[in-house]
Amino acid sequence: MLRREQKSFFNFFLRRGFKWGGLVLLSLVLLSPVRLFADEPGANAAVDWLLEATNHLGKWIWDTNTFDKQTCRLWKAFEIPAGAKISQATLLITVDNGYTLFLDGQEIGRGSDWRTVTEYDVTQLLAPGRHTVAVEGFNDRLEGGLIFSLEIQLADQRVVEVLSDDTWSVVPNPLRHWASRKTPLPDWHRAIVIGSMHHHPWENWPVGFTVGLPLRPVIVHFWQAGWFQLALVTVCLLALLFSVWLMTQLTAQSAAQDFLQVERARIARDIHDDLGAQLTQLVLLGEVAQREEPADSPAQIKFNQLCAQARELSHAMDEVVWAVNSRRDTLRDFVSYVCKYAQIFLNPTPIRCRLDVEPEIPAAAFDLPVRRNLFLAVKEALNNAAKYSEAGELFLRIYRKDHKLVVAVEDNGNGFNPAQASAERNGLANMAQRMSEIGGACELSSQPGSGCLVVFTVPLNRTSRRVWRSWRRRRLPDELATAKTGGNGPAEANLRNG
Amino acid sequence: MKPNPANPASVPPVKVVLVEDKPGMRESWVKLIDSLAGFSCVQACASGEEAVRVIPALNPDVVLMDIFLPRMSGIECTARLKLQLPKIQILILTAVEDDELVFMALEAGADGYLLKRTKPEDLRAAMLDVLGGGAPMTSEIARRVVESFRRASKQQKPEVHLSAREEEVLILLSKGYSNKEIASQLAIGTETVGSHLKHIYEKMHVRSRAEAVARYMTSKT
Repeated sequence: MLRREQKSFFNFFLRRGFKWGGLVLLSLVLLSPVRLFADEPGANAAVDWLLEATNHLGKWIWDTNTFDKQTCRLWKAFEIPAGAKISQATLLITVDNGYTLFLDGQEIGRGSDWRTVTEYDVTQLLAPGRHTVAVEGFNDRLEGGLIFSLEIQLADQRVVEVLSDDTWSVVPNPLRHWASRKTPLPDWHRAIVIGSMHHHPWENWPVGFTVGLPLRPVIVHFWQAGWFQLALVTVCLLALLFSVWLMTQLTAQSAAQDFLQVERARIARDIHDDLGAQLTQLVLLGEVAQREEPADSPAQIKFNQLCAQARELSHAMDEVVWAVNSRRDTLRDFVSYVCKYAQIFLNPTPIRCRLDVEPEIPAAAFDLPVRRNLFLAVKEALNNAAKYSEAGELFLRIYRKDHKLVVAVEDNGNGFNPAQASAERNGLANMAQRMSEIGGACELSSQPGSGCLVVFTVPLNRTSRRVWRSWRRRRLPDELATAKTGGNGPAEANLRNG
Repeated sequence: MKPNPANPASVPPVKVVLVEDKPGMRESWVKLIDSLAGFSCVQACASGEEAVRVIPALNPDVVLMDIFLPRMSGIECTARLKLQLPKIQILILTAVEDDELVFMALEAGADGYLLKRTKPEDLRAAMLDVLGGGAPMTSEIARRVVESFRRASKQQKPEVHLSAREEEVLILLSKGYSNKEIASQLAIGTETVGSHLKHIYEKMHVRSRAEAVARYMTSKT
């Protein structure tokens, strides 16, 4: 027995909970807990008030035809005068057998106990202007009807009253949003009045009163609004897509960069392996041929010239290979190349080349445009010194200072007045142009009789690739080890571009 | 009995072995070496393996070694030869100057390096130089040598440290001074400068060998 009771109680809860889950959720926002006046001690007073209040109710209205299991949608528009202030708005409703009530398209309540009238306080839901009230009524069996009143008391004592009568429209075909329509459609027809409050078969009903707490408009914050959430999701998606795109671009770019590096190394290697080797062979062949001819014979002199030319070509090619080879994109390599160049360049001249180089120059990244332009500018300065300075000594100083690389070319020659020197002579314009191309600076100072000093400064700010570069540099011995055992493998090929 | 290349008529020529993998180049080199007064190319090896096999029996005065060889590189070949024949003079031949490689070759035991396009007179001079106990060194390599010794100075035994004079020579060399200028600066003979450099090379070889052993030992344990 107990078990059965428990079970039925549980079932009841389950069913009810399931059936009304949506309503319970809604009532959390919209509806207050509902209580029955009739059950309370002061029921008599309430009934009196009911009788008084029901005088204000409209008439029972319904669709032209009535049948069992009928859904009847009733609709009414009303106007609150502009500028009016609403002091109280009370809505009374009941439908035999049940209803869903919409105000301005928003569901504000449901009811299934037609024997009691439900009161809704909608004061806060209304404002001056056009409103609609819509009721989706349901008739289970036999007669069906809606009885309704909405009394809006304005602050200036005026009253707007909306009662159920034949001005209501019946909505035969429930289109979407029918409840929120502001105007009726042509196929909507008038409701018919069945009778007044206690008309048959409702002589003894309604008997009770259900009062809800005042309804408050649901404040939908903008972040709760659908459009906002949709926009947010869209923005997030776009951001995601954009970052994916950006990542792809970056990957592509770094892949392109790597490809460029590899290609440059390959070109350097090809030039060196094919052209360079054959050029060296040409020099050797020329030397051998020269030796086979009698000394100072015309052929020997020609061979000698040929060798000199081939050597020069080989030297020029080295310069190209140096510029192209990505493996040479390091600061250390640049420094040693410039020093070597200066020494070889000044060797045939009376100028002694002195080097003053900062020890332990790192193998930091030093990219092609920078090292090429700086090299050509230094070359120009050396050329000037060799041509005009008549110096005995030239100092090539290379050091880093404040994230900048400084290359100074200083001679102790006869100097000149920079203001009077023609641009062609000192090539200053040329050097300055080269330096500005790479964001560097070039300063020349000289006085007649006291030598000449050219200072080149270039920023050293590319730190990101340093680690990788130096790592690669450090790996070189390993690569050589592979080359030793690996024969003509890629590691050896890599070495060959040296 | 050391040959005196200055008087080629009176003494047997300096025995040179060439290691070069490209046949055409090899032929030209042999002709060129033979054409130099007082020098004779006794053998031309096509690979490092062949060089390691035949050179000890030939006992030449100078080995001219191409740096890029298939399989065993010129650097490894140099190291192996120096281990067997410490007195042998090895000059590295390279097409393009690459400090990194040249320095590695010198550490491996080479006594100098030459560009392949070097004039025959300069080649002859360089060979005479190493035979006469000198050691050609460019300022670039000198700077690297100074740096490498400074880096290693903490862990190494004192016999592989540079003496103060040796460091002085190296620093002057790295600043672009010629051997003659260094000699006059330090008030010593030019030959003394050469022998200092020779010692520096030897210390470098000892050190790199020690490092190789140390590396080997640590990797074993």
